[in-house]
Formats: sequence, structure tokens, C-alpha cells
Amino acid sequence: MPLVLKGVMQSPVTPLKEDFSPDLATFEKLLDFHVRTGATAISWPHHKGESLNLTIAERKAFAEVAVKVVAGRIPVSIHVSALAVEDSMELARHAQETGADAIIAITPYFWNPSIEGIYDYFVRLGTSIDLPLIAYNSPSYLSGLEFTGELTRRLIERLPNFIGMKEASFNSEKFLEISRVALALRPDFAMIAGVEFLAPCVPLGGAGSYSSAGAICPNLCIQLYDACVAGESSRARELQFKLARLWDLFRDQYPSSLKGGMVVMGRPVGPTRPPLPTATKERQAYIGAQLEELGIAQTEPHGW
Amino acid sequence: MSTFVPGLVHTPITPFTPELKIDFGLFEKVIEFHLRNGAEALALPMHAGESVSLSDAEQRTLLELAVNQVKGRVPVIAHVSDSGTAIAAARARHAEQAGAAAIVATTPYYWTPPPAMVLEHFVQIGAAVSIPYFVHYAPDEMGGTKLGTDTVLKLIERLGNFAGVVDSSLDWQFMINIVSSAWRVRPDFQLLSGTEYMVSAGAVGATSLFSSLCGVAPQLVRELYDICRTEKYQDARRAQEDLAALRQIVKRAGAGGLKGAMRAMGRACGEPRPPLQPLGAGGYKTLAAELGALAALRAEPRGW
Repeated sequence: MPLVLKGVMQSPVTPLKEDFSPDLATFEKLLDFHVRTGATAISWPHHKGESLNLTIAERKAFAEVAVKVVAGRIPVSIHVSALAVEDSMELARHAQETGADAIIAITPYFWNPSIEGIYDYFVRLGTSIDLPLIAYNSPSYLSGLEFTGELTRRLIERLPNFIGMKEASFNSEKFLEISRVALALRPDFAMIAGVEFLAPCVPLGGAGSYSSAGAICPNLCIQLYDACVAGESSRARELQFKLARLWDLFRDQYPSSLKGGMVVMGRPVGPTRPPLPTATKERQAYIGAQLEELGIAQTEPHGW
Repeated sequence: MSTFVPGLVHTPITPFTPELKIDFGLFEKVIEFHLRNGAEALALPMHAGESVSLSDAEQRTLLELAVNQVKGRVPVIAHVSDSGTAIAAARARHAEQAGAAAIVATTPYYWTPPPAMVLEHFVQIGAAVSIPYFVHYAPDEMGGTKLGTDTVLKLIERLGNFAGVVDSSLDWQFMINIVSSAWRVRPDFQLLSGTEYMVSAGAVGATSLFSSLCGVAPQLVRELYDICRTEKYQDARRAQEDLAALRQIVKRAGAGGLKGAMRAMGRACGEPRPPLQPLGAGGYKTLAAELGALAALRAEPRGW
């Protein structure tokens, strides 16, 4: 089971047809694009993949395609978080049956469970499968609900398959509270930045990132990671500033702006399901102008 | 204005007698300790120095004593924050007359003014002096009043002496946005790490460090700072993790934690003023035991 995650990992968006139905053919192209442009792992469907706007049946169908198309070239993790914990359990079972390499799950939605409730949830989820488990910490999106160092320690001690954390606080103190505990107990534990905030976390033992902008500018993401690992601080800073501007551009109406940017880059993936908006033509033009100004349009792959 | 880079800035506590008066004799000892133990500048009275529990007259007296005691060996930065803009501006003017090398101010206490008035607050304070002016951003301590990139850019436009932002938000995106935007219009604009979480801040551009824990572990803080200034951030990971551990121990102990930790290092300096609670015998015992178990503190100086 040794699955070590590092580098620039991609969490693809979910392609939809104009009538908002699943576009599995484009999903295949997108997965292949990520593998060809240097992704070290695929993880789907993060919130960027509109996970909560897909039915459980749709999520299973996409997951099967992901495993089939990637075909062992790089590891595939399936994000199993759903509103109902029972659905998450079902998605985890399905991920294992499908042949995924790992599952990933955020702290439960809506209920603001206690620390014990979160602990019990991850233990139940992690012991229900024989796959590695990655947890997902996102305090700003879940009313402050977050992993502490102590909770991380307990889960590492309880679950041999707890191998990593998608860390999306983007905060020095919060990152270190988890990382210093986790890396001391499990040196291969993968602390994965939720988007490409690599310069602030690679020196602290960060393993890489789940990319936000990877479908737009895979080269830039990989250059940043390489600069961080090589300790080229000035270059890393310069690239990080650029990616932070992109994050500001895309996090506005995420992921519809990202899908809008993909149109500009010649990789259209359709609309975004309500209640999220779909990037208008004007928004696409604005994103296009920004990508031009940042030199992305000129230096990154166009089309599939 | 010639660039004043504060470097490693120690932010001393304010010692009180059992009657809760400022213990001026002990304050001299505190200052001498910091000067002997690596301070490149002092900033006082910061929140670690219980500024908010000191009267205006006490804050002025404390600054005058510090300048007099330091006698130019290092620059002294005066903290002038208040609720009322005019009060803070008057304190800033006094600081300049008293010989402070720079001033630092936070967003106003208690009020949550709209962005235009936050800007006005900062402009009036900065315009009251001709010495360098730093803005301290600590949203968690300050009721969540936000400092946006727009405000920072307008401050740059309006104040020649606005030298930089001291960050205690620990927020990667905030730091990156501020510094990358500011550098485009003022290349010598500074980002300063407002806490010992220097690795991530340094990686995105911070060059100075405000530290309260140097009253407890000056050597460790110095080691972290020195490595960060060589920009070999990966080499700073151990010192960063040790300081994160120390910070959490002190934080868990509550308001009296910093002074309790100094007492445990043989540098008793009284209890905090009300409404902050003293540590109490039980709290002190726990704190001292936790510090005693911290291997990273073994080489640190004991006593004054």
C-alpha cells in the first residue's frame, strides 16, 4: 500500500454538456491532458469538480472513467465527501471496487460536529476500506471547523492508512500545527497545499499541491514546485506571485471562472451547474486579457 | 526616505510590581536582556507589552525610558495604536519627539470603520510624523477589521514614510497580495513577520521579524531569523517547528503565558495587569513542566 504523494497533483474540473449533463468524453480528454502535462496524481471530484452538485450515481460514473483512463499511469484518488455521511461511505466502497488508489474526505458538512464527531467519522471511513485515506482541512469554508494537531495525531495513531492531508487554511500557524505533528509520527505523510501555495509550505515539509490552475497553466505550476524543491527562493517567489494572481482571478466564482479560462485556453469543458454561475462571454474575455497580461496564453499549451 | 529595515525586532513585555505599577527598575533589566540577546531593534509597548493596559501617559513614559536606556545601541520602534485616530496620531508625534526610530500602528481598537475610514485612520497617524511608519495587521486580535490591498496601495500613494506591513494574519494569500502589489509601486516596501512564523512569511518576501518569544528563547529565534535571511528556508524547518511548539505551549497557558514562560526561564517579571488573569500556581506548574520537556530550550539563557 505504500502510496507516496508529491509534486503537482491535479484535481480536474467536471466537464458538462450545454444541458448540464455529464460530458464523460471530454472528461477523458481532460484526464489525459493532465497526465500528459506532468500531473503526479489525479484526485476527483474536489469542490472545484462541483462534487456537491453531482448525484451519487454521476460521481460513480465519473470515478470509473477516471480510473479507466488514467490506467495506472499515476495514482487516482476519489473524493468521497457528500452531504450525508452514508453516501460518503458508499462512495468510498465504490472507489475501492473501481480500483482507485486512495480516497480523500473533508470534515463533514453543515452539522459542525465536535472534534469527537470528526474523529469518529474518519475512523469509520478509514476502517471501512483497504485504501489509503487523505483528509481535507478547509477551515474557512466550513465555519472554522478544522483539524488540530491533536486530532491529526490521534487519527495517525489509529489509522495506518491515513497518509496525507489536503491543507487549505493557507495559514502558517494552522499548517504547522498539523505538519509538525504528522511528519514527526509519519515522515512520509503528505501535507498537500489545497491550491498552489507552494513557496510558503514546501520548506516546512509540504509534499506538493492539488492544483487549482493546472488545467490553465500546467507548466507554471510545475516550474514553481521545482523551484521550491530546489530552494531557489527568489524564483519561487516570483512564480508564486504569478500563481497567486491567478488564484485571485479564479477563486472569484470558483470554479466557473476556471472553466471560463479553459475556454480561452482552447479546452472548453462546458457550463457550471447552478447554484454556481457559468462564466459569461464578458467574464471569459476578462480572464483572457488577464492570461495574456500574465504571459500564460503565450507560454502554456493551447487546446487538448 | 532612506530605507530603515528593522531586522530582528524584540517586543519586550512590560513588568509590573505586585501593586500593578510599572516596575521601571525591572524594565531596564528587560531591555538589557534583549540587547544582550540578539535584538537588532526593539518595538514597544506592543500587545506583548500590554500596551492596551497602559495609560497614554504610561506609554509615553515607557518609551522615553526605553530610548534613554538604549542610548542609540539599536533603533526603538514605538507602538502608538489606539481607538481614536487623533489620540494615536498625538502618541505618534510624541514618539518622534522622544527619539523613536519608527512607529507602528494597528487598525483601531473596538471600532470597525468602513475601508475609507480605516485608510483615513492610518493616513492621519502616518502624516503626524516624518519617521518610518509600519502598519501592523493582526485581524484575529483586532475584531476582524480587514486591511485590503487597495488600502495599502492608497497609503503608499499618500504617505512617503509608509514603510511596510507587519503581518500577524499568517495568511499566505494576504501577504502575497500585499507585497507583490506594493513592490510594483514602491520597490523598497517591506513585509515584516509579526510572529515567529517566519519561514512562510520569508518565502513570500518578509525580511524582518517581530518576536515576543525572544524573551523566552532568544537563541532559537535568532537561529530561525538568521537562516531565513539567507533564504535557505528548508534549513529553517526544525527551528520553525520548535518555535511553533513553544508558541502553542505559551498560547495554551493563556494571557499570563508569556510572563509565566519568562519566569520559568529565571526571568520573573510579575503578572499581567487586569483584566488579564494571572497564570495561577496550577497553570504555572503545567507551563513550566511543558517548557522543561522542550529540548529546544536547553541551550537558552536562564536568568537575566
